[in-house]
Amino acid sequence: MKKSIFLGVVVCSLLATAAIAQNKSAPADKTAIQTFEKQVNDYVNLRNKLRENAPKLSKDSTPEQIHAYRTALEQSLRSARAGAKRGDLFRPETADYIRRTLKLEFQGKDRQQLRETIFETETQGVVLRVNYPYAQTAEFSEMPATLLAKLPQLPKEVRYRFVGRNMLLVDRDSNVIIDYMPDALP
Amino acid sequence: MRRNFLLALLISATLFLPASAQRLKLTLPVKDGSVRFAVIGDTGSGTEKQRDVGTMMAQYRAVYPFEFVLMMGDNLYGGEAPKDFEKKFSGPYKALLDNNVKFYASLGNHDQALQVNYANFNMNGKEYYRFKKGNVAFYALNSNYMDKKQVEWLQSELAKDNSDWKVCFFHHPPYSSAKAHGSDPQLREVVEPIFIKYGVNVVLTGHDHVYERIKPQKGIYYFVSGGGGKLREGDVKDTSTLTEKSYDHDLHFMLFEVSGDQMYFQAISRTGETIDSGVIPRKKSVKSAA
Repeated sequence: MKKSIFLGVVVCSLLATAAIAQNKSAPADKTAIQTFEKQVNDYVNLRNKLRENAPKLSKDSTPEQIHAYRTALEQSLRSARAGAKRGDLFRPETADYIRRTLKLEFQGKDRQQLRETIFETETQGVVLRVNYPYAQTAEFSEMPATLLAKLPQLPKEVRYRFVGRNMLLVDRDSNVIIDYMPDALP
Repeated sequence: MRRNFLLALLISATLFLPASAQRLKLTLPVKDGSVRFAVIGDTGSGTEKQRDVGTMMAQYRAVYPFEFVLMMGDNLYGGEAPKDFEKKFSGPYKALLDNNVKFYASLGNHDQALQVNYANFNMNGKEYYRFKKGNVAFYALNSNYMDKKQVEWLQSELAKDNSDWKVCFFHHPPYSSAKAHGSDPQLREVVEPIFIKYGVNVVLTGHDHVYERIKPQKGIYYFVSGGGGKLREGDVKDTSTLTEKSYDHDLHFMLFEVSGDQMYFQAISRTGETIDSGVIPRKKSVKSAA
């Protein structure tokens, strides 16, 4: 009887601790995501302002117009964000949340499949350097649809990418690396 | 003398007739009012063999006047400078472009997003889009980045679509028997329930550099057509239970014809050999003719 009561108390206290931990971490994650989303939006506002000075790009562009637009956007982004460095957007609390999300999403067979997909991608030419473009000759790893549904949502101007175990935040049009997070994949 | 000259001219002209008039085998019925199109995937290598495919497509167009071409992605491998667009796209398909054949592209894992603005890809500035020809609705998707917004867009467009035929095309194959990449289970987990729910009939993909017609999966017909400019010879697994028909010996392209409740297809190698053909009845099982 005494043993049962003791066991009950232990179970209850464990459950309570877990609940508290969950309640504690949930608001912290929420804040991390909100901060991250705000920073991404600030970036998008800046790049859209810079885009106004780039050559106009229509839906019926020539390769020359596309090239001119991409080059101009890349250069003005680099100048405007001259002091940008790794971790500006992937702050420790955001990086921690994303790492946990990736770990939870990819376990067992799924994790193996994801790793195979990521590591078969030819990304040798990509130099991980904030404010420099993702090499045009390298391919993009497919971002699993199931994962994109769980990560913080991004505006259409910005993309998540994987290069090896690293996760990148890349500008969609110029391919400039906005930030990256080493060892993101489990 | 003059008669002999004319005869010689006639013989020479016959000798130099395009292969279309001499040996091309067409299995499509060419019915009045049908929707006619071609399919190419993983094309942008800029190689001589890619150009051969472009030439063969133009020859087939002489006997089968298709109106437009769907592109399964990897439209430009490597760099995307202006000269690359010429070498890897507008050069190889010049004969078709000159005859006002429209190309509708989707993006692959080698494609930069700004391709959506390229006039000749007719993407209208969008990574995923819909267009309609006759009784067929076409959905170009970006399988490289299937985010929430795209999934929601696809669902809402399909929900209101009352077209007889719904065809989705994109790069990564939900089903494939190729050794290099194979089926994409994560993509399939997200898109397949939507395809089933909203009655998508046919799904066209690339990524694996082979041709494969998949046995119908949950009532949907899947094709892998990723050998328009690159080939992985011998890449299709012999033991796969998914395969209805496959080809991995040379580059290829496909022709389609939709007439009423039937969709006819023909897969053709770089050298003009028919490698597969058949007809897909709407909501019924596939009947192979090859």
